[in-house]
Amino acid sequence: MSESTTTERTERKAPGVLGSSVPRKEDNRLLQGDGRFTDDVEPAHSLHMAVGRCPFPHARVESIDVEPAVAMPGVHGVYTGAEIAARTEPLSVLRPVPGAVNLPFYALAAEVCVFEGQPVVSVVADSRQIAEDAIEAIWIDYEPLDHVSDTLAALEPDAPVLHPEQMEDNLLVANPQERGDAQEQLRNAAAVVEGTFRIGRVTALPMEPRAVVAEWRPGARELTAHVSTQVPHLVRMQLAESLRLSEGEVRVITGDVGGGFGLKLGLYPEELLACLHAIDTRRPVKWTEDRIEHFRASTHGRESVHEYKIGADADGNFVAMTDRYTTDLGGQNSAFGSAQLSSIVFSGPYRVEDGEVERRVALTNKTPIGAYRGYGQPEVDLARESLVDRLARKLGIDPLELRMRNLLREDELPYRNAAGAVYDSGNYAECLKMVAEAIDYEGLRAAGPGPGEDGRYRGIGLTSFVERTGYASAKFLARRGSRFGAHESVTLRANRSGGIDLFTGVSTFGQSNETAFAQICAEVHGIDFDAITVHAGDTLATPLNTGAFASRTLIAGAGAVRDAAVKLRDKTLRIAAEWLDVDLDELEVAGDAVISRRDPAKRASLADLHMAAIVGQGLPEGEEPGLESTAHFEPEDAAYAYGSAAAVVAVDAETGEFEIERFVLAHDSGRIVNPAAVEGQVRGALAQGFGAALTEELRYEANSGQLVNGTMLDYFVPTAADMPQVELLHTEVPSPVTPFGVRGVGETGTIPPGAAIANAICDALAEFDVEISSLPITPESVWRAIRQAGDGGDGREG
Amino acid sequence: MDEAIEITVTVNGTVHRETVEPRMHAADFLRRVLGLTGTHVGCEQGVCGMCTVLLDGEAVKGCLLLAPQLDGHEVRTVESLAEGGELAPLQQAFKDAHGLQCGFCTPGMLMTATALKESGRKLDRDEIREEMSGVLCRCTGYEGIVNAVDAVLNGTVATAAGEGEGR
Repeated sequence: MSESTTTERTERKAPGVLGSSVPRKEDNRLLQGDGRFTDDVEPAHSLHMAVGRCPFPHARVESIDVEPAVAMPGVHGVYTGAEIAARTEPLSVLRPVPGAVNLPFYALAAEVCVFEGQPVVSVVADSRQIAEDAIEAIWIDYEPLDHVSDTLAALEPDAPVLHPEQMEDNLLVANPQERGDAQEQLRNAAAVVEGTFRIGRVTALPMEPRAVVAEWRPGARELTAHVSTQVPHLVRMQLAESLRLSEGEVRVITGDVGGGFGLKLGLYPEELLACLHAIDTRRPVKWTEDRIEHFRASTHGRESVHEYKIGADADGNFVAMTDRYTTDLGGQNSAFGSAQLSSIVFSGPYRVEDGEVERRVALTNKTPIGAYRGYGQPEVDLARESLVDRLARKLGIDPLELRMRNLLREDELPYRNAAGAVYDSGNYAECLKMVAEAIDYEGLRAAGPGPGEDGRYRGIGLTSFVERTGYASAKFLARRGSRFGAHESVTLRANRSGGIDLFTGVSTFGQSNETAFAQICAEVHGIDFDAITVHAGDTLATPLNTGAFASRTLIAGAGAVRDAAVKLRDKTLRIAAEWLDVDLDELEVAGDAVISRRDPAKRASLADLHMAAIVGQGLPEGEEPGLESTAHFEPEDAAYAYGSAAAVVAVDAETGEFEIERFVLAHDSGRIVNPAAVEGQVRGALAQGFGAALTEELRYEANSGQLVNGTMLDYFVPTAADMPQVELLHTEVPSPVTPFGVRGVGETGTIPPGAAIANAICDALAEFDVEISSLPITPESVWRAIRQAGDGGDGREG
Repeated sequence: MDEAIEITVTVNGTVHRETVEPRMHAADFLRRVLGLTGTHVGCEQGVCGMCTVLLDGEAVKGCLLLAPQLDGHEVRTVESLAEGGELAPLQQAFKDAHGLQCGFCTPGMLMTATALKESGRKLDRDEIREEMSGVLCRCTGYEGIVNAVDAVLNGTVATAAGEGEGR
C-alpha cells in the first residue's frame, strides 16, 4: 500500500462518529451500579489496614510503643517508620521541580513529622474496626516543634526550617525566566500597575476516596495492587522501586475511578504500606481512605502568592509583564509537587515582548500540595486579569477595548511568549467578542455606574486566557528530570466475533476516554463504534503508556489510536483484497465487513477476516498470522486552548453580598471529538472553578497549625443549588500540532471564574476604588474590601 | 465485643435474614454483607450523599443508618432500577443528558431522583436543584443531572448539557 493511499484513507470522512455526541461506552455499567471501583474489590480472606497519623503540624517522634496493638486479637502486623526506612526506598517524585533540593520521603515518618496527617504507624487486622482500635492502642510520644503555616512567613529568616539536614531555609527552589528587559520597560512605561494576589488552598475532593487492595503470591513472586489512580503504569514503576521488586513482579489494576482531577497522580504512602503488609502476611490487604484522612493526607492544590506587574504605554499597549510568585508545597514532596504552569502561561494571550517570571517553592507545615486541575493556570489568571482591569481604570480605557488592543491576532500565531511557550493557533479576539456580545456589553455599559433599581451595583468582569494542554516532547521532559514520557500507547486486537479490543493504560475516571478512543478507532478503521470494546487501566493487559493528566490524554492518545487503527485496518484490507480478488484501493471497512466501493456485492465479514488472521488460515502469501497492532504516539508540541469569559455580578455595597447574574464562557478546544463530553468537561471544571473562587478554602489556624475545616461538613464544594447559570459558547479552530487538530479540554473551566468574578465586583464598585486580591471571594471579603477602600486603612483590622 | 443482631430486611424485593454487628452502618451492610456494591460510600457523615438508598420509598443516607435499623423494612438500591439489562427511563435520561462522568455519585443521584419521581411532585428546575443538592457531584457541574431529572419529572426531552429547555 502506498503512503498516499494511507493518508487519504486516514483523513476520509468516515462513519460520522467523530464529532458526534455518541452515547458513552462507560455509562451502562455506571448507571446500573456495576462500576468496579477499588473498594468494590474484596478478595477472600482480606485483612484491613488502618494508618496512625501525626496530630501535630511539626513534631519529633520520641518513642513508639506498638506492643499493646501487637497483642490485640485479630491484629496481624504493625509497621513503624524505622522498619519502613530499612525495608523500602523513598517514594519517588515523578515531576521534580528543576533545580530543587532532593527531599526523599518514606511511606511512614522516620523521626520528624512535617504535617498534620502524616502517616506514622500502620496496622493490618481482621477488620478495619480492629485495625483502628489497634492504632488507638499504640503509644506515640511526640515532641511538638515550632511550625510555620503561612507561605510567605515560611521564607522569613526566623521561620523554623522543615528539613534542616538538607536545607538552610524553606525555599525549595527558585526558577527565574526572562526575555528582553522588563525592568527597563517598566521604568519607561506610561503606566504601571502592580498587586499581590493570594490564592487559597483547596482540594480536588474526588467523590471516591483513594483506595488500594493488594495481593501477593510469594511462590509466583506476583504482587497485584488494585489502586484508584490516574496513572497505573507509573504507580507500577513506583511500587517496584520502593518495594525493591522487579517491575515484572508488579501488576497494577485500575478499574473505575471515582474522580481524579490530579489528586490521584502517582503513588501515595498508604498504597505502598498495604502492599508491604500483603507481602508479609501473605493475605490480601485492603485500605480505603476515610474522608477525615482524605482532607489531611491526599494532596491539596493551588495555594500561592503572586506579585504581578504590568507596564503599558500611553495607548495601553502592554510593554512588560512580570510575575514573582511563591507556591506552597506543604511539608514535603508529592508525586507531582506544586503547580508548575503559572510560569508557562503567565503573560496569557497577549502580545508582550519583555517579561520576567519567577517561581519560588516554599515548604510549610501543611499537607503536601500536588497536581490539581489547572495546575497554576487559574492562579496566574486571577493576578494578570485583575491587573489588566486596574490598568484600564488607570488609563481610562475600557477593559474590553484594552484587551482587544493587546490580544494576539490570528496572524501573529504561532507566537513564542516570554516564558518560551509557543502558542500554536487560534482566534483569541473572537472568543472575547463572543462573550461581550452575549452579555450585551455595550448595553450594560450604557446603563452607566451607580446602583440599579434594586439598590445593587452591577459590574462586568472579563478575563481572557490561554491554557496549555498536553506538553512538549520527551526531550523537554528529560531536561526537567520528569520521569514519564510525552507519548501515549494503544493496542488494538481483533477478536473472533468481528470486533476490536482496544487496550489503553489510561484509566477511566470520568474523562469519557473510553468513548473518545473508540470514536477515533471507528472513524479511522471503519468498524462499528459498538463493536469496539475498551479495556483500560490494567498494566498486565495494556501497553506501557504515560497516563491521564495535563489535559494530554486525547492529544497523545488520538494519535496512538489513529496509528494503531491504520495498521490494523490495512492488514485487514490486504487479506480481504486477496479473498475478493480486487484491488486494495477499492476496499474499505464499513461497519461489520470489508466491502468494495466499486461493487458492494463484493464483501467479506470482519468476523471471517479476523478468524482467518487469528488462526493463520487463508492469508496472503507472506502475511504473518495474527491481527493486532500497537502504536506509540508523541505529539509534536503542546496545544494551547484558549477562551474568554464574562461575568455580570450584582453587589450589595452595604453587606458585600453578591450574585452572579450571568456567566458566559467562550472557549476553543480545537477539533471536538464528542461535543457532549467536551461540554461536560467544561461545566465540571467550571464548577470547581466556582468552588475555588467562592466557597472552597482549607484553613489552617496559625497558632496551632491545625486544619480547622477538614471535613465534608466544613468544606463547601458547590451543590446543584449553588451553581450559577452558565452559558457556553465555543469556536473550533483546529490545532496544527495535534492529530485531528484536537486540543485538551479537561482543565479549561477551572481558569476563568476567579478573575471574571473579581473583576465584575471591582467594576461594580469602581466608584469606591475596591480591589479584590485573593480567592476565595466571599461576602465578608467583599465587605472588608469596601471598608478598606473607604477607610484607606486595613479592612482586615476593621 | 458487641453482640451480633439478627435482622430481616427486604432488599430489592428479596427477603434477607442476616446477622450483623450493631455498629455496622446500612451502606456497609448493603456493600459488604449483601455484595450490592452499587451503593457507594463517600464521607460516612451524611454529607456527600453517595450512599443514598430508598428506605420504604424515602431517600435516606445509608451511612447515617445502622444495619439493625433496617430490620423489618424495605430497601431499594441502584441495582433495582434496570430490568433485564434494560435501563429504566431515569437511567436512560441520565445517559442521554450526559448526566454522569466518573459515575461514583450516580447511584445516589438516581435514588434521590427516583424518590422525587415516585412522590408525584411537579418541580421546576430551581426546586430540582434544591432537591438534588443532598448529593454532591464533582464532575458534571450538575447541568446534565438537572436536565435528566427535569426530563423525567416534567416530560421535557433529556439532552446533553447545554441543549436543554427551560433555561
